Amino acid sequence: MHRVLLPFEFAEPTTVRGALALIDGEKTRALAGGVDLVLRMRLRQVLPEKVVSLQKLPHLDYVRADDLGLAFGALASLRQLEASRAVREGWPLLAEAIGSIGSVQVKVQGTGVGNLCVGTPASDVAPALYALGARVRLTGLADEREIPIEEFFLDVGKTAVRPHELVTEIVVPRPPAGSGAAFMKLAKTSEDIAKVNVAVMVSVGDGAYADVSIALGSVAPTPLRAVEAESLLRMAPVGEAAGVGNPAGAAAANRVSPALEATGNPVSPGLEAAAQAAAQAAVPISDVRSTASYRKEMVRVLVKDALARATARALAGRSDVQAPGGVS
Amino acid sequence: MRDALDKNPGFDPRSGGTSAPSTTGAPPATSRTIEGEFSCVGKPLPRPDVAAKATGAAVYGADLVLPGMLTGRILTSPYAHAKILSIDTSKAKALAGVAAVITHEDVPKLRFTRSVMAEGLPPFAYEGENQDQFILSDKARYVGDWIAAVAAVDTYTAEKALDLIEVEYEQLPAVFDPEEALKPGSPIIHEGWPGNVAGVIDHPFSRGDLDKALADSDYVVEFRGRNSRQKQAHLEPDVAVARWEPDGRLTVWSPNQNAHLAKKTMAQRILGINEGDIRWITTTVGGGFGARLSFGVEPVAVLLAKITGKPVKVFVTREEDFSGWSSRTEQRQTIRMGVTKGGTITAIEQRILSDAGAYFSHSGTISAVNMQATLGVMRSPVVSGKATIVYTNNPTSSGMRGYGNPEGSFVLQQAIDMAAEKCGMDPLEFRLKNAKGTGEPSMWEPVTLTSCALETCIRLGAERIGWKEKWHGWGASTGAAGPSPGGRYRRGVGMSIMTHASGAGGFLLEHSSAIIKLDEDGSVQLAVSPCEMGQGILGALSQIAAEGMGLRYEDVHVITGDTDVTLFDIGSHASRSTYAIGNAVLDAARQVRATVLERAAGILETSPRALDIRGGSVFVKADPTQTVAVAEIARGAIYDYGLEGRHITATGKHQALTHCPNFQAGFSEIEVDTETGVIKVLKYVVAHDIGRAINPLTVESCLQGGAYQGLGYALTEDLIIDEHTGKVLTDSFATYKMLSALDMPEVEVILVEEPDPSGPYGAKGVGETGITNVAPSIANALYDACRIRIHSLPMTPEKVLAALAAAPQSPDYNGG
Amino acid sequence: MTKQIAAFTVNGAEREAIIEPHMLLIDVLRDQFALTGTKYACGTGDCGACTVLLDGKPSLSCLILAVTAIGKSILTIEGLAEGPELHPLQQSFVDEGAIQCGFCTPGMILSAKSLLDENPDPSLDEIRHALAGNLCRCTGYVAIFNAVQAAAAAMKTDSTGTEARP
Ligand SMILES: Cc1cc2nc3c(=O)[nH]c(=O)nc-3n(C[C@H](O)[C@H](O)[C@H](O)COP(=O)(O)OP(=O)(O)OC[C@H]3O[C@@H](n4cnc5c(N)ncnc54)[C@H](O)[C@@H]3O)c2cc1C
Ligand code: FES
Ligand code: FES
Repeated sequence: MHRVLLPFEFAEPTTVRGALALIDGEKTRALAGGVDLVLRMRLRQVLPEKVVSLQKLPHLDYVRADDLGLAFGALASLRQLEASRAVREGWPLLAEAIGSIGSVQVKVQGTGVGNLCVGTPASDVAPALYALGARVRLTGLADEREIPIEEFFLDVGKTAVRPHELVTEIVVPRPPAGSGAAFMKLAKTSEDIAKVNVAVMVSVGDGAYADVSIALGSVAPTPLRAVEAESLLRMAPVGEAAGVGNPAGAAAANRVSPALEATGNPVSPGLEAAAQAAAQAAVPISDVRSTASYRKEMVRVLVKDALARATARALAGRSDVQAPGGVS
Repeated sequence: MRDALDKNPGFDPRSGGTSAPSTTGAPPATSRTIEGEFSCVGKPLPRPDVAAKATGAAVYGADLVLPGMLTGRILTSPYAHAKILSIDTSKAKALAGVAAVITHEDVPKLRFTRSVMAEGLPPFAYEGENQDQFILSDKARYVGDWIAAVAAVDTYTAEKALDLIEVEYEQLPAVFDPEEALKPGSPIIHEGWPGNVAGVIDHPFSRGDLDKALADSDYVVEFRGRNSRQKQAHLEPDVAVARWEPDGRLTVWSPNQNAHLAKKTMAQRILGINEGDIRWITTTVGGGFGARLSFGVEPVAVLLAKITGKPVKVFVTREEDFSGWSSRTEQRQTIRMGVTKGGTITAIEQRILSDAGAYFSHSGTISAVNMQATLGVMRSPVVSGKATIVYTNNPTSSGMRGYGNPEGSFVLQQAIDMAAEKCGMDPLEFRLKNAKGTGEPSMWEPVTLTSCALETCIRLGAERIGWKEKWHGWGASTGAAGPSPGGRYRRGVGMSIMTHASGAGGFLLEHSSAIIKLDEDGSVQLAVSPCEMGQGILGALSQIAAEGMGLRYEDVHVITGDTDVTLFDIGSHASRSTYAIGNAVLDAARQVRATVLERAAGILETSPRALDIRGGSVFVKADPTQTVAVAEIARGAIYDYGLEGRHITATGKHQALTHCPNFQAGFSEIEVDTETGVIKVLKYVVAHDIGRAINPLTVESCLQGGAYQGLGYALTEDLIIDEHTGKVLTDSFATYKMLSALDMPEVEVILVEEPDPSGPYGAKGVGETGITNVAPSIANALYDACRIRIHSLPMTPEKVLAALAAAPQSPDYNGG
Repeated sequence: MTKQIAAFTVNGAEREAIIEPHMLLIDVLRDQFALTGTKYACGTGDCGACTVLLDGKPSLSCLILAVTAIGKSILTIEGLAEGPELHPLQQSFVDEGAIQCGFCTPGMILSAKSLLDENPDPSLDEIRHALAGNLCRCTGYVAIFNAVQAAAAAMKTDSTGTEARP
């Protein structure tokens, strides 16, 4: 166990090309906010010979929204994303997910892209982006490619980033009109990594679910979509599915206990069935944070709660979240 | 009488009207004591140590830099149990910048125990403290055991050197479960202790025929429970600096909680030198909570400094701290309790299996204190207690706030509720009926309680939590409100009571001294040796000193933390500092006051008795216009051009065979999500029998902090050890979860002030107590809400769900 | 190795240090600038004791390579007070009993400062969120929340010269 880092070479290129030329992924590592990388280097979990800082790359800290969608660059911090008015209004699910990360300092320093590039299935950002159908833009020396986020996460700590490649942008389509979404997370404390997290987005039209996406975190080697559960709900009538009429759910704090209003609203069989199917999709492990069986069961509970909340939000036409504490 | 009390819940027959209990509403719960009577005592004055902490000027161990100082780091064992076949340090020694590399071959061949507090035990009791370790181990007994150490010019070099040390281990079979460790054929951890039995302690106050008493009882309840290895997790990682002076003396700077006893242990048990050869300086302490009742890295720093001839600073990382030598001791306990139908306790039995880990440390004294506190709070004709302490290959345990009491209370207080249920009695009434009070034996039975405000604490706490309205009753039999109604979210309330020593008299040497020096301007230097680890002791002692002399608070300056300057004191633990050191300070203050009055009487031409001092001025009681400033007297005493000059000083002492127990009641209201198993604490109320709050702000803050640690102990904090490798898996704040600012629920603090005749201005202790009632009251609230009991801490959602699934379902109770 | 002389603006003054890429900002602050008010307690980003304001933003100096802070403006606890007077946050931490052992205090106060810089009148909930990345093992936070509220009130009085809202 160590208190200091081992020596390495350091480069601070000012062009993406310059950075790409240096980064081979093994002996050389990219550094964005460094929240994850510096820690792992101290713990000797990664020992790069060279560290290439991306911090001097110009114009990568943007968060941009237009009619088509949201795009943010590799250096956009979690705090920037969370505080962005565009994100809160147009992609409240993403803001809600980032809001569940407790530490302000981590959000100030850590980037959204860095969070994804760590490749942990416990990321809170990832399930939100899964549910929103985000795409990842990767830039290589020779070419650029854009892949759905589902193809980005490969295994624990493994992503689709190739040597001499960087993630330069995340693109998120605008949620359809009439949609509602919810992010829920269970953790030991309010600033802990998730035991289980869930992001869902539903769109409702003509009294039925037009589209449903359900993403799960921390219950498999990668975040995942509960495809079976989604198809169970698609086209199902909302009234029957949701046991709705509970827009108060939208206001509930997104904290340790997803303290739903204590009305104990009966949830209709439709949501329950989808929640159970989602739990079937989960293949969790036991670790210091929780047990496999608890995690699986919690997928059911959180998916059910999140669907009820998202549906209520869709019906109430509510689509923004509060600014993070202290930002006006 | 109890009926009368019911109708008049604020009234306490024992208070005798000497002081009024005070309370307030929602947080910040503030209780303010009697105004007017005192000028300093009872006031929420800002503490003398905190401005330096707010500006970054305070010097903690890691901040200390000495000329020529080297950095020391320690190599720890990756294996839980392994023979060391060889250690090759040649490459490490060859590295430029490395001054020394040491192994077990270089350490004194004197075995010692890390518990420096044990030096305060009477000699016969000290024999029971196993001397079972060297500074660096000749065999690895847990993952994290100290194998070698390096001193180098800086941390970068020191750590590089650690990486170059080559150790050849032969792994041995290891054992991590204390019950397994006791089985024949288990790996032996210490040669001197066959069967891994580190010790067996019989509760000294066991009495009566247990079997008969239980057989004769109308009901017998039994509860088994197990606490977690809560970490002290003081934010300041352990650190020590040592320097051998040119005159051959040794100076040690460290955050140890018992400077004088640490000096003695270092001199006699480790180095074989005289105590006078060591000067021990306590740095600003970044939290103690009991961890610093043991040696941390001091012995390594001392040895490296000796070998290199340079000052050496040794520190550990957070990961090393978590994998190291101190956590709450894991105790598996069974309580059996007999009761009559009418709700009178007839017998209590406590059995403890205590996992010391790899070395003995505090595990003996903790088991003893556990039994005293657990078996000492309720009245019972028959009492039986026994603890077996076992060696395993787990990390060593140490003292942790509450020192056995939070361990025992978690089990006892649930057993009490179960007994009350059998009798169909409100658990509050059951406790009132069976709890000890003034005039009865204390937790250390030869001592008689001279004060006890427990009943007032219970009454006031119950009122603030809304016990009458919220407690559901045991079901149909009591005719009360009935169990928490079905549905996903269930609420419940629960309570717990405790007693804890203020001081250690009776079982430990209880001796403190203080020096006061009155300088020429009427200001005072107070030299005392408690360790200011955040508990606010320097402020409280200054208040006592100022009050005792009639001076202003700002006239008192505290000198502390240097054994060359301060007189003997057994250290900061056992919730004793305000009580015991406070008594020593008050003794000295009264002497100074008497000297001042005597000299003033000469000036004012009257008798000392006719005089009083207030605000730094002596005045004639009958004619307050006749005054003389204390400064004038002090100056005259020094600048005396005749032969009567004398710098006014006094030494005061506290010594006692008693320890003045304090009492406390805690109440929790919780909401349980029966689908996730998450327990949400809605409110915690703690009512503490403080005797007198010397500084109410400090006492409140202390109880708030205790509640905070109690909530973590109850719900989230868990040192998880891999059952195959013995490695601590939760070795960072990322995995060992303490509550954040977002998680802290409402805590209401009630201070009940019924002065005890033995304390300074009636004060009793509080330091350790805030933690104790939290987990048991939550456990009892969980039963009130959901009719389930959890047998091990922390009470995680995983355990709650499992218990709910296993609970029998009644028709009117659609439990999840 | 790649040693370099690096310039930082520390507490308003230009300072130079000899650094190597693997040096953490906290070590440069503590070892080279003797600014030991910045505390090391975990090294994993979890406790916030090492918080400094980097270009005004609360940042974890235990997880920042000093080389990436070159040219930036760093505020440590030592730079908070102007002159001998305590900053209102420091004063309120003293007055409200928000300091026990004090090890969390520098980081806590700097996080609170960054909150008040953005939001001079925070709600209790906003204070809790702003301090979620700063652990305190001693106080149970309540006194700290009180201190931040008291400082906010005092700072409003200061800047407007009128009585703050209660
Ligand atoms: C105390 C604490 C609490 C946390 N809590 C949470 C939480 O609750 N939920 C949660 O989701 N996360 C949490 N995190 C994780 C945190 O969000 C991430 O570590 C952080 O966002 C990583 O971003 P970064 O910019 O600092 O990445 P860095 O550390 O700079 O990089 C991380 C990895 O990604 C690579 N990388 C970075 N950028 C790129 C790029 N553009 N292209 C290719 N590779 C790249 C790096 O080489 C490195 O391997 C927590 C972290 C801490 C320390
Ligand atoms: S020391 Fe940096 S966050 Fe704890
Ligand atoms: S005051 Fe000790 S950690 Fe906060």
